[in-house]
Amino acid sequence: MGQYLPILALGILATLFALISLIASRLLNPGRPNDAKNAPYECGIVDQVAPPERFPVRFYLVAMIFIVFDIEIIFLYPFTAVYRELGSFGLVSVIEFAVAVFASFLYVVANGALDWGPLKQVRRSGMMVTPSRTSTSTIRRVGQEGREVHVGDEGVAA
Amino acid sequence: MQNSYLMLGAALFAIGSFGLLIRRNPLVMFMCIELMLNAVNITFVAFSKQLDDVAGQAVVFFVLVIAAAEVVVGLGIIVAIMRRRPNVNADDLSLMKG
Amino acid sequence: MILQVLAQIPTDGVTAPLVEESTSRLVTPRIPWSYLTPQLILFLGAVIGVALVALLPKRLPKYLSALATVVLAAGTLVSIVPLWGRVGNAREGAISAWSGAIGVDRFGLFVTALICLAVLVTALFADSYLRREGLDGPEFYLLLMTAAFGASIMAISNDLIVLFVGVEILSISSYVLTAMHARRVTSQEAGLKYLVLGGFASAVLLYGLALIYGATGSTNLLQIQVFLSERVLTSDGLLLGGLGLMMAGFGFKVGAAPFHMWTPDVYQGAPTPVSGFMASAVKTAAFAGMIRVFVVGFGSAAELWRPIVFVMAVLSLLVGSIVSVVQSNVKRMLAYSSIAHAGFILLGVHSATERGTSAALFYLASYTAMALGSFGIVALAARRGEHLQKLSDLRGFATAHPGLALAFALLLFAQSGVPLTGGFIAKLGVIGAAVDQGDWALAVVAMITAVISTFMYLRIIVSMFFVGGGDHGEEPAGFEGPPVNVSWTSMVGLGIVVVATLFLGILPGTVKHWSNQAVVEMVRDSGR
Repeated sequence: MGQYLPILALGILATLFALISLIASRLLNPGRPNDAKNAPYECGIVDQVAPPERFPVRFYLVAMIFIVFDIEIIFLYPFTAVYRELGSFGLVSVIEFAVAVFASFLYVVANGALDWGPLKQVRRSGMMVTPSRTSTSTIRRVGQEGREVHVGDEGVAA
Repeated sequence: MQNSYLMLGAALFAIGSFGLLIRRNPLVMFMCIELMLNAVNITFVAFSKQLDDVAGQAVVFFVLVIAAAEVVVGLGIIVAIMRRRPNVNADDLSLMKG
Repeated sequence: MILQVLAQIPTDGVTAPLVEESTSRLVTPRIPWSYLTPQLILFLGAVIGVALVALLPKRLPKYLSALATVVLAAGTLVSIVPLWGRVGNAREGAISAWSGAIGVDRFGLFVTALICLAVLVTALFADSYLRREGLDGPEFYLLLMTAAFGASIMAISNDLIVLFVGVEILSISSYVLTAMHARRVTSQEAGLKYLVLGGFASAVLLYGLALIYGATGSTNLLQIQVFLSERVLTSDGLLLGGLGLMMAGFGFKVGAAPFHMWTPDVYQGAPTPVSGFMASAVKTAAFAGMIRVFVVGFGSAAELWRPIVFVMAVLSLLVGSIVSVVQSNVKRMLAYSSIAHAGFILLGVHSATERGTSAALFYLASYTAMALGSFGIVALAARRGEHLQKLSDLRGFATAHPGLALAFALLLFAQSGVPLTGGFIAKLGVIGAAVDQGDWALAVVAMITAVISTFMYLRIIVSMFFVGGGDHGEEPAGFEGPPVNVSWTSMVGLGIVVVATLFLGILPGTVKHWSNQAVVEMVRDSGR
């Protein structure tokens, strides 16, 4: 039975990690609930405004940051496979490489690549995610009495 | 058997270069360059197996990294152009002639 | 699935490590760091620079990054001096490191020195240019450093893969440098064009490299050399295809016809100091890679690749000189003339001898000075917003700024090959190397095209010095627009290139001696 112990340990660790993540997010989040957030559906019915057709440029920038780490893992993965055989030479080389990559990451962060403030969202939030607009309030609106009129009204109001 | 891998690499390389020449969307042109680089990767691995030499496989890592770096730069330039002119395509980029 | 995984776990208890302890150490290369000082300075300068830019406050004095670049480039130059002696003397000699992937010899050091000079002068010109255009920031200089690092790696690479990595470090940095001018659409357009075509060329180069690996069984130039000398080549399709594709890739990087289509657009669209950097450092590094691979690595197979170089040289000379005459944009004219210069340097490569190599190196040295100076003056004369576009915009430049106009005229005369300038000695060298090998046809084409391109240089000079009625009979106009501000940094940069051009023309002995000593030496890795 002893040989299964590592698997058991791995299972316990995985469960612990999941639990800790859940508890940590519960403890650390700001916790400002409103009706819209607590509603069971977050998408579909509430959104009456046409979604923006083009993605914000920010998405591309995030993709570029990802590639910094993508490049790092391409070299780190083969290194881990043979790091014992490479000895200190390999370790030193990889540290040099990691420092060079980390310097570029520092630059990216210092230039605000990770500041994903709600710059663009603020403008739309009045229309789309107000606490007054919940699934219960909007479902009632989509009734028999003509949806187009309401949509038009919303547009003018916004 | 090994030759068929080389043929695959050559075919992919040809598809990539034809695509680069006939497509007009900068993003698709980038995909074609990626395809060409990966075709080279296949060729390298096939030769590496044929020659029983591990160097050819190590090359693939470097090519992967270079391809990634090239794409980042390409995306950056495309984003910079798109901010000024949405829906740009390669035929519109003709301010300079002579 | 799970059962399979479980079955792989060893059954002799938990204490047994899951991975077998391996005691067999790979033989790791020892690295002679002191021989790599020039590359280390450039690389660490770039990496530490990036980190400092991220960590330090943004409100540093504006001249700081240009100053740091100049200091680092000068430091690299100084670090080459002791190495030149060490690599040259009989006791130590050229070395090979990293399991033969890198070879430090006088050829590599000479090219690295040229690249550092190009960085130094470009930084001097760029300082006032970037401030004028409102682009000042450390990024330009950091990219300049990474580009120079890639270029110097190309100069000392002894392995095709290292060479390719160097090419890409240089190319990717120059793509960004080209697209650097955020407020001009032409700059970004040029950047995208350069990137797409450059990526295509890199892929072609890499495919050629793969075929050569398949044909010879190695990517190491020394091993390829040995492989080729051991057998008689009859018809090896893989090797021929690989050589052709690699030559196409290099032809693109040096901007030789018929792979020159990107050159005019990119040189025109790029920020002007970057155009100068590309004409000097990028071309120098690409030619260094070409000479290392073809003249030395494939030296014994010279009969296979010399015809390709012949065609490229003739086409470059003809296209570069004839098309440049009918251009109207000054930067495009200089771009086409750089294609013609690439044709001249290919003459030296085509001869495939040590004399040809040293003639090509001397040509690269003098062209580095001339190109940097010409583009530098165009950058100054353009003023804020790049006013200088058409040739007619230069009218009256000589009366408004006689000093600058004289320097420009001198550099253009040097490019056309007037005696007492570096261009004359350089042209003499490559044509002499071609004649040495019995290539009379090439030499004749080169001399005829030199005359044709002289006409183009004269057009620029005439438009500067003669004010009277324009080409189309309109009113005589002076040099219009805001005044030209020549900062002292630009003056220093201009002084360096003008003095270098005259020095190479009047006293060519020293540099010619160095370029004769700068031969590629390939030695086995001694683990030193």
